[in-house]
Amino acid sequence: MKFGIFYEISVPRPWDRETEKRVYDNCLEQVVLADELGFDQVWAVEHHFLEEYSHCSAPEIFLTACAMKTRNIRVGHGIIVCVPQFNHPIKIAERTATMDIISGGRLEVGTGRSATWTELGGFNVNPDETKKTWDEFVHCLPKMWTQERFGYEGRSWSMPVRTILPKPYQKPHPPLWVAVTSPGTEVDAAERGMGSLGLTFGSFKEQAEKVKNYRRIIRNCEPVGEFINEKVSTVNFMYCHEETEKGVKNGRRLLGTFNFLAAQLLACREAYPTKSYPSLGLLPTLRQEAAGPGDDHGVPEGIAIGDPERVLRACKNWESAGVDRINFLLNALETIPQKDVLESLRTFAKHVMPHFRDENHSVAAAGGR
Amino acid sequence: MPPRLGKLDAKAFAERGAREILGYKTEPWTLKQAQILNFNHEIDDDLGDYLLPRTMHPAIPAYATFTVIVCPESPVGPFSLGEVKIAGRAGVRPRDFVLRSFCDSADARRELAERWGYPAAPGEIKLTARHDRVIGRVTAEGRSILEMDMLDRDMISGNDIQYIASMHLARNKDDGQLVLVQVDPEFVFSRAERGRPLLRTLDSAAWGDTGGHLKVRNPISMSYAVADIALPRIRFICDPERPAFQGTTKVAA
Repeated sequence: MKFGIFYEISVPRPWDRETEKRVYDNCLEQVVLADELGFDQVWAVEHHFLEEYSHCSAPEIFLTACAMKTRNIRVGHGIIVCVPQFNHPIKIAERTATMDIISGGRLEVGTGRSATWTELGGFNVNPDETKKTWDEFVHCLPKMWTQERFGYEGRSWSMPVRTILPKPYQKPHPPLWVAVTSPGTEVDAAERGMGSLGLTFGSFKEQAEKVKNYRRIIRNCEPVGEFINEKVSTVNFMYCHEETEKGVKNGRRLLGTFNFLAAQLLACREAYPTKSYPSLGLLPTLRQEAAGPGDDHGVPEGIAIGDPERVLRACKNWESAGVDRINFLLNALETIPQKDVLESLRTFAKHVMPHFRDENHSVAAAGGR
Repeated sequence: MPPRLGKLDAKAFAERGAREILGYKTEPWTLKQAQILNFNHEIDDDLGDYLLPRTMHPAIPAYATFTVIVCPESPVGPFSLGEVKIAGRAGVRPRDFVLRSFCDSADARRELAERWGYPAAPGEIKLTARHDRVIGRVTAEGRSILEMDMLDRDMISGNDIQYIASMHLARNKDDGQLVLVQVDPEFVFSRAERGRPLLRTLDSAAWGDTGGHLKVRNPISMSYAVADIALPRIRFICDPERPAFQGTTKVAA
């Protein structure tokens, strides 16, 4: 089991010239501390137009800053929206390779397609097309990284033969992941030999079934890349405090704030009927599960908030469900003061991480550091 | 800074169209094989706040839904309904606030208002399904107030469609209080289509927007469906002047 941190970069109104800077500075400070404490990865999403919920529209810049300020933590660019209106595939190949070089081979690449009308509508994207363009992109990307010359005649994009430069530092290339939100996307990940970057919660039982299915299918996959990245990651909230009451209270405030923000966004399925989005996607699923009945303190099953013992229990349960990595969301709208976020990271590292230390010291997947 | 909330003056708005509801104990209705034409359309974000009660938060981006429903069967006989709704959220739940409904049956208007608080006024509603398009029209007091076409009909699955539960501003006859009544119908689809949306006419003032706040922007999607609609018992009501987190009351299991 490895642990990471996960950024939406949520910025409260009013958006004066200092607010966004303060939030970004806080995030960078957290990343530096997480690196020192032994967290394995930092992930940053790509979102656009999601007022207050996420001001992380240029994650490659943020992650480059993270890489510059840290020594060991891996930087997860994910997910990159694999839709031509958002990102041209050549640019994705070029900038990820550059990030990999700059970070000294610490890049992880998450792929996906966006789940909100807020974003898809803003880029004038036809929601029926996104799964198809994602598939084209992920089949091209490893070739663009590894072949000296690359040309492509495709459905959503084409290019004559050119030399795409630079090439990634990791050989053969950085690990590839797929954001798993819609039901069945874990199958897409497995069939392509990609890591499953879970962005929703579910019950342990449901998650264990998905993981089992993923691991069964990936045995016979046709990998899009040069190696198979058989890894299952999930996302979670984290607030860890030695006093149970304070841990639960602050943690629940984090959950409530995040869930409220997520609810204000317009899921693609709500606005645009299409079989391409069979579920409400990342946010409502996460919200629904996180709003579940919970334990004696009202903490929903599997959420890593409270005292270290509770948080450890949640992490162990995820490990038992077959999850390899947990990425933690630490704040929303700065509802938790920065000093408390930092203290929560320290408490987690001191009391929870040692229970997983052996696994944490193992070497990353092929292509890893 | 507090979250964005609606800015509608509910009392003033109610004067222009809210109906009386007779308590919250209605029996469910089933409306068999209803035809539903539904148009989601982005609207001006800032102005849209003035069309939502203070109970609700705007969706990001703000959008409105224009609906024409033809019900061939109901406990009070056939009727048709036209609605303009503003999408929002009550707490974390997606909800549509119904600006106004128009209905072509006096019996249905009375029952829909008394049972579920529909702000229903008299109007003529027409839904025409042609091979190239489905046309929805609403006329009131001799004026066309909504004209929309769904072009290039394409079959989809009913599972692809998600309608949002609605909130009706009504006056409770028992105590005279204004309430937002949450109505969350269930749909069993027997046909579903999607098409290219075309809005021809929208007389927003006729739908209760006397302040000129309903400005359409980017069209999103249009669907046509045939479904059995179950109008359920009322489960929740809200205070129109308080955020839903604080002002929601459960009235039935």
